[in-house]
Amino acid sequence: MRDIVKIYPDGTIALRGVSLDIYPGEVLGLLGENGAGKTTLMKILSGFLRPTRGYIVLRGRRVVFRSAADALSHGIGMVHQHLALVPVFTGFENIVLGLRAKGDLRKLVEELMEETGLRVRLDVPVEQLSFGERQRIEILRMLLRRVDVLILDEPTTNLTPLETRVLFNALRKLRDSGKSIIFITHKLREVMEIADRIVVMRRGKVVGELPREKAEPRLLARLMVGREVFLRIEKPPSTPGKPVLKVIDLWVRSDIGGWAVRGVSFEVRAGEIFGIAGVEGNGQAELVQAITGLRRAEKGKVIFGDKDITNMSPSELYRLGIAHIPEDRQTMGLVLDMSVSENSILGMHRWRKFLGALGSLRWREINRHAERIIKEYDVVAPSIRSPVRYLSGGNQQKLLAGRELSKNPRLIVAAQPTRGLDVAATEYIRKLLVDLRTKGHAVLLVSADTDEVLQLSDRVAVMYNGRFTAITRPEELTEEKLGLLMGGMEAGTLGRD
Amino acid sequence: MGETNEPRRTERLPEWLVEGLLRLGESAIALIVGLAIGAIIMYVTGYDAWLAYKSLFGNSFLDSYGFTITLSYAAPIMLTGITFAVGVRAGLFNIGAEGQLYMGALGAVIVGWLAWRIGILDSVLGVLVAYTFGVLLAITWAYIAAILKVKRGVHEVVSTIMLNWIAFWIVEYFRVYLIYNPSDPSKTISMPPHARLPLLVPDTELSAALIVAIAFTLYTYYLLWYTVTGYELRASGLNPLAARYAGIKPEKAMITSFIVGGIASGLAGAGEVLGRPPHYAITTGLSNLYGLGFDGITVALIGANHPVGIIFSAILVGALKAGSRYMQIAAGVPLEMVRVVEGIIIVALAVPGTLRMVREYLRRRRELAELEKR
Repeated sequence: MRDIVKIYPDGTIALRGVSLDIYPGEVLGLLGENGAGKTTLMKILSGFLRPTRGYIVLRGRRVVFRSAADALSHGIGMVHQHLALVPVFTGFENIVLGLRAKGDLRKLVEELMEETGLRVRLDVPVEQLSFGERQRIEILRMLLRRVDVLILDEPTTNLTPLETRVLFNALRKLRDSGKSIIFITHKLREVMEIADRIVVMRRGKVVGELPREKAEPRLLARLMVGREVFLRIEKPPSTPGKPVLKVIDLWVRSDIGGWAVRGVSFEVRAGEIFGIAGVEGNGQAELVQAITGLRRAEKGKVIFGDKDITNMSPSELYRLGIAHIPEDRQTMGLVLDMSVSENSILGMHRWRKFLGALGSLRWREINRHAERIIKEYDVVAPSIRSPVRYLSGGNQQKLLAGRELSKNPRLIVAAQPTRGLDVAATEYIRKLLVDLRTKGHAVLLVSADTDEVLQLSDRVAVMYNGRFTAITRPEELTEEKLGLLMGGMEAGTLGRD
Repeated sequence: MGETNEPRRTERLPEWLVEGLLRLGESAIALIVGLAIGAIIMYVTGYDAWLAYKSLFGNSFLDSYGFTITLSYAAPIMLTGITFAVGVRAGLFNIGAEGQLYMGALGAVIVGWLAWRIGILDSVLGVLVAYTFGVLLAITWAYIAAILKVKRGVHEVVSTIMLNWIAFWIVEYFRVYLIYNPSDPSKTISMPPHARLPLLVPDTELSAALIVAIAFTLYTYYLLWYTVTGYELRASGLNPLAARYAGIKPEKAMITSFIVGGIASGLAGAGEVLGRPPHYAITTGLSNLYGLGFDGITVALIGANHPVGIIFSAILVGALKAGSRYMQIAAGVPLEMVRVVEGIIIVALAVPGTLRMVREYLRRRRELAELEKR
C-alpha cells in the first residue's frame, strides 16, 4: 500500500499518507489507539472503502478494488469486529453462502476445520452459537475462498481466553502455510504474543515499524500514545469538595451478554473532573449508560449526593440534577429532524415551565429557552425553527451541551464530548467543562482521546476490559505508563487513590 | 467569518411556508406527470384523453353536485389517511385503517340496531353513542396490534393485515346473521331516521361527517405539534434512541399512535354509516366500506403525512373517485381503463412522498449501521 490518504465525506482526515508492506507467511500486528486509522487502512485494503489518494500494489501489479468482493477475488479478506452472518442460517450455510457448488463443499469445509483447528458446529443456526464460534465461521468463510491475506479487526475483544488460544494457534498454522495475517489490535500483550512484525499507527500515520524481537511493551506504549499537545487549556486551581457521585462495585452487561463492566468503584467530587481513559470498547460506554439510566446495572450501587440512584430512569435522573452529554450526539443526544427549539428541551420536555394546560407545549417559553442557549453557547443556527441536521457538528454539540447545562446539574457526565469536532469547537467544549468544574460542579469525563483526559482531569482512571487498571493523578501518568495501562499491562507500581 | 450569535431571521419567507410551497409544487408536478402518462395510454389505446379528463375534473370540481360527491368521498379517506400518517410519525407502518374502519362502522350499526328498539337513541344522542361505540371498537382493534407490537415484537404490517381480514369476516357475520335488514337482507339494518348525520347540502351525499373529519384532522395537527404527547410521539418516530435517552418510552408513543389512528378510522367507519345516503348501513360484502382504509395510505403519502396536506390530498383523491365514473359515461372510456388511469395518477402523486419515506428509512438504517461500526 502506498501513500494512502483517506478523507471521509464529512471532512474527517483518517489517513495522512500511509505506506505499508505485507509479506507472505507473517503475522503483522497493527497497533494503535482509537481513531489512529488502523481499521480505515484495512478497509481500504479489503475493498470496503476507496482511498482518497494513494494506491495498492499486489504481487507487482497496481490494483484498484471496486468492492469487497473484488478484493476477495484477489485473495484479500477481512473479518470485521461486528460479524456479518445470517443468524437463522446454520454455520455451514453461512460458510458456503454465495459460493457456487463445486465438488463436495461439506468435505472441503470439514477438511479445512481439521487443518486449521478452527472447529465449529456446522448444523446449528448461527444465532445459537457463541461469539467465538461465529468468528471462526467468518474466518473459515474467508479461507474457503482461498484468501492469501487475512485481516482480523480486534478479533479477541469478545473472546474468552481459551477461545483466544484456539484462534492464535490457528493463525500460526495459517502463517506457516504461507498466508499473511494482519492483526488489528490495541492490546500490547497480544501483539507481543502473536505478531512477527509490528506496525504502530497514530493519528492517521505510521509512527513505528519493528520486528517483534526488537519490540518491547514500554516502547510500543510510548509510540502508541505519544503525546502531541496542540491545545492548551487554562486550568485554574480548584479544591474538590464533597463526593457528588459514588459508584460502588458496579457490574454491567454488554449487549451480547457478557460482563462489560466488572466491578468498578470510584467517586466524583464537586469541583473536580474525573476522567476515564482507555481504548474504546473496554466498558466505558456501558458504565456511562448504567450511571445515566440507559442500561441496567446488575450488581453494585450508584449514589448521587446521598440518594441511591441505581437503575433510576433518565427523566428522574435529569430532575435530580444529572446532565448527560452522550457519546453519540447525532444518534442519541439530538433528534436531527427536529428543530433547534424542539431539541433544546429534549429530556426536559415535561418540565413544568414548558407545559401549559392539558399537556400543551408552551412554545413561547420553549423558543425563549432555545434563544437563550443559542446566545449563551455561541450556537450558529439559521433559525430556531430549522432542523438540527443543518447545523455543523460543532454547533450541534454546543446546542447539546447548552441544553444539558440548562438543567442546572450538579453532575455532568460527558462521553467523548469533542469527538469529530474541529479545533475551535473542541477548545470551546473543553473550556466549558473546566469552567464548570472550577465553579464547583462535578464532571465525569469519558474519552478515548488520551490527551483530552490527561489535560482536563483532576483525577484519571484507566479502564481496560471492564475494570479500572488504575486511578491516579494525571501528572503521574507518563505516556509509557498510560500506554501500558490502556494496553492491559498492569503497571504494578501505580498507587491507587 | 462574519457569523453572529443572533439567529438569522431575515426577510425570507417563513420556513414552514417555503416547505409547504415546495411540497405543493412537488405534488403539482407529480399530478401533471401522472395525467400526461394517463393521457398517452388513453391516446395509444384510442380514447379521447382530453374529453376524458374534462369529464373527470369537470364533474368532480367544477360541477357543484359533483363537488359535493368529491367532498363526501374525501371525508373517510382523510381520516384513514390520518391513521397511517400518525403511525408514520411514531415510526410505524400501520396499515390497519381498513379493519379499524370496518369495526367503527359495525359499532355504529349495532347502536342503530339498538336505536330501533330503544326510542331515546333515535336522536342526536344516538349519533353520539354510535360514534362513541364505533370508535371504541376501532380502538380495540388498533390496540390489539399495538400490544402485539410492543409486548411480542409482532411487526404491525403483519398483524394489521391479518386483523383487517378478521374484522372483515366479523362484520360480514354480523351483517348476515345478527343485524341484517329484515326487508333487504343484502345489507345491515339502517340507522333510524333521526339518528343520522345531517346533510350539509340537501339531496346530496355530503353529510356532517366531513366536518367531523376535518375537525379531527386539525386536532391531530394540534396534538402532534402543540402537545407534549405529540412531541414524544414524533421524537420516538424520528429517533427512538434519542427518545430513550430523553426518558421517553418509544413503546408508549407507539401505543398512543395506534390509539389515535384507531379513533380516526373509527370515526371514518361510523361516519360512513351515520352519514352516507341512501343506505345508512353496511352493504353486502362491505362494498360501501371496502378500500377506504387503504385509500388512506395513498392520501397520507400524497399529503406528506402532514394533517394539513392530508386535507388537500383527500379532496384530490376524493375527486378522482367521484369523477372517474364520468370518464366512462362521457368519454366512453371503459371502467378498466378508468381504473388504470386513476391508478397512474395516484402512483405519480405518491411518488415524491414514497421516495421521501424510502430515503428517510435508508438514511436511518445507514445511521444505525454507522453506529454499529464504531
